[in-house]
Amino acid sequence: MNLFFFWMLSLSLFIGQLVLLGILAWRKQRTNRKESSVDRQYDDLIDAFSSYMIDQDDGRFLQQLDASPNKQTVLERLLNHYVAVTKTGPTSDEITALAEQYLAHRYAKLLKQRNWAMRMNTLYFIEDFRMASLIPQLKEKLHKHSKLDQETQQLIRTLASLNEPVAIAALAEFPEAPARLYIDVFKRLDELTKLDELDAALDANASPALKHAAISYIGMAGIMLFLPRIEQELENEDPEMRIQALKALLHLQYMNDPGSLTPFFSSDSWQERMFASQIAGALQLSRYKERLSELLGDSVWWVRYSAAEALTQFSDGDILLSHLSTNHPDRYARDMANQWKTSLSGSEQ
Amino acid sequence: MQETALIVSYIVIAYMLFSSLSYLGLFALAFRKVKRETKLDKRESTEDFLRNQSTYPVSILVPAYNEEVGVVSTVRSLLALEYPEKEIIVIDDGSKDDTSLRMIEEFKMTKIPFAVRMHIETAEIESIYQSSIFPYIRLIKKANGGKADALNAGINLSSFPYFCAIDGDSILENDGLLKTMKPIIESDGQIIVTGGSVRIANGSTISRSKVEVIGLPRSPVVLMQIVEYFRAFLIGRLALSHLNILLIVSGAFGVFNKERVIQAGGYNKNTVGEDMELVVRLHRLLREEKSKQRIEYIPDPVCWTEAPDSLGVLKSQRIRWQRGLFETLWTHRKLMLNPKYGSIGLFSMPYFLFVELLGAVFEFIGYFIIFGGFFFSLVDPQVAGVMFLVTVFYGSLISALAVLLEELTLHKYPNVSHLVKLYFWALTEAFWYRPLMVLWRVQGIFAAFRKKAHWGDMKRKGIST
Repeated sequence: MNLFFFWMLSLSLFIGQLVLLGILAWRKQRTNRKESSVDRQYDDLIDAFSSYMIDQDDGRFLQQLDASPNKQTVLERLLNHYVAVTKTGPTSDEITALAEQYLAHRYAKLLKQRNWAMRMNTLYFIEDFRMASLIPQLKEKLHKHSKLDQETQQLIRTLASLNEPVAIAALAEFPEAPARLYIDVFKRLDELTKLDELDAALDANASPALKHAAISYIGMAGIMLFLPRIEQELENEDPEMRIQALKALLHLQYMNDPGSLTPFFSSDSWQERMFASQIAGALQLSRYKERLSELLGDSVWWVRYSAAEALTQFSDGDILLSHLSTNHPDRYARDMANQWKTSLSGSEQ
Repeated sequence: MQETALIVSYIVIAYMLFSSLSYLGLFALAFRKVKRETKLDKRESTEDFLRNQSTYPVSILVPAYNEEVGVVSTVRSLLALEYPEKEIIVIDDGSKDDTSLRMIEEFKMTKIPFAVRMHIETAEIESIYQSSIFPYIRLIKKANGGKADALNAGINLSSFPYFCAIDGDSILENDGLLKTMKPIIESDGQIIVTGGSVRIANGSTISRSKVEVIGLPRSPVVLMQIVEYFRAFLIGRLALSHLNILLIVSGAFGVFNKERVIQAGGYNKNTVGEDMELVVRLHRLLREEKSKQRIEYIPDPVCWTEAPDSLGVLKSQRIRWQRGLFETLWTHRKLMLNPKYGSIGLFSMPYFLFVELLGAVFEFIGYFIIFGGFFFSLVDPQVAGVMFLVTVFYGSLISALAVLLEELTLHKYPNVSHLVKLYFWALTEAFWYRPLMVLWRVQGIFAAFRKKAHWGDMKRKGIST
């Protein structure tokens, strides 16, 4: 047992750690200093930036920006915060113009960076600032990706945000692509392209994930134009597609033919019974009150829950639930009716 | 006698060197993963989920026992969480203080009838309340049955497919839930559990249920716990998660797929380590089904919790943890070295047995030999010297490395002085803090034989101002 060896080993590890500590402390100090400098410049520029966004003839902002030593970082932060605040609206042309002028060259370089996180951030910013000049680089990059990893997924989203229908075709290259990603693409395309792509996706030959995504998206976005196509899907042989169609109808809150809902109240699938109940409630389809009262005693908790919730939607729902809470032959149905006659609807959305 | 002591010394030294190397191996694995994501703009990578209807709704379960000081601020911090759809369920597990009353008054709660699905048997539910201001806040008042029982009651009442279990004295960062759910959403349900980092809030300024300024506490006992958390979360859990063999998701903060948990039978009421026991049972279920689903730890989403600042409370906490570990390993001993359970049986279970559980026993013997060698000629002083150095390496240098890893990757503590302070305190670990932990952990193993489940008995001061 060589004590000297262990002494040397421990000492060298300790010294190694001290060196690393020194480097990290120095790095931290430098980063903190740079961060506060960027913060200061950001604060100095924010008023001029706000004025510029209202009136582009106000040249103060561009002058101050050009004089800033960290102009790209500060501008990126200003644009990003602006976009975050106005996220729900369309991206302003001024944001795109500023980004194209000051950041496009940098982003083109960053897309080729070795650092994964930096490439990902760049993709997010290109999307946020709608920088169409980088489409060729993005397409070239997509061409090189053969795995649907996080970066490829974001690449496809970014291309979709720049209204590139190639995004759907690129996703189709990956058979494992989930419906969630197709929905992300639909969300980003502009109105006309979106309608064309949705129309194509509802085609009988489309892949199940694509069709599933299209039906879901139509419901979420409330696109009434496709209502007849969605109603047609209620007759689809694939149960998953029927469920998606029911879900979409629930979101759309309208049916041309409410009678087509009838078979779903006695379906073998509890999800179909549940959605049928929810639709009957949301559309206040009085003809189904009796079916809902029956489903209050369904063997599946979610169906009982949805049937009771649906009954609350009718003007006489509270009276009905009061009656059912004492007179329904099923004990669980009575419990559920009892809960819903007093309860407030329960989740934050 | 001396010969036996010498052989034991060699075994302990070999053990400590082996364990240190396994830590370094885990460190190397963890480093790559964390480093890759260091510069990622976390806000950008999650903001899409905020407006996304595909984001799964989550039920947040807050089990509480005598949490009158912290429960309201915890719920307020949960209200501020950025997440598209959530419900909050506080479960008062027969508290002797005014936990329920505080909730009822603060959130204007009224008693409601509720048709609870009994997925899992629990102690009697006395009443259920719903907030009239925020209808998605509910309170279950039930007979005392322990933390596991409280969580099971919350699962029964919850409406959503995923639930997040969070301690009644913890504060979750605003985007913490979103970041924890991100891997679940992106994996399309292939990840069934995610655990996030837990940090110690003592010393930080928390106001209006939000961490405003991150700082360090004065108490050395709490400082050492911060270092310990770095070591556990950044070195151990991340690497084990990377290999899909993580056996612990902290009870203070984790997100679970409800269906899977119900399938596994819910939380086990007969152990004090219900968080670890559930995760091991889920792994077992996945392996038996040959499922490809995963359990993952995410280093970033941070849950802030109050650490004990008195040695008495810390002692009982550590005894309870060690006891929980022992009980879990014993309950699932069938997995140990069983090739049917893959890397869980062949690597993870032995790792937790030899490094996490029995490590305390080896270290205890090590301290005994150092003391006996230097003062009573139990072994050659040269051997005692080597043992001392190995103990310092195992206890202090690895912890100091964990501090550096934190700075290299997440760097949550803002000032250089924080880094230096934590580093030098970490170096002292082997000389006072670790011997105490070792002693209590050994006591914890013995405590496992005297079974009686109970909540921790920490007196809360509250972490929010």
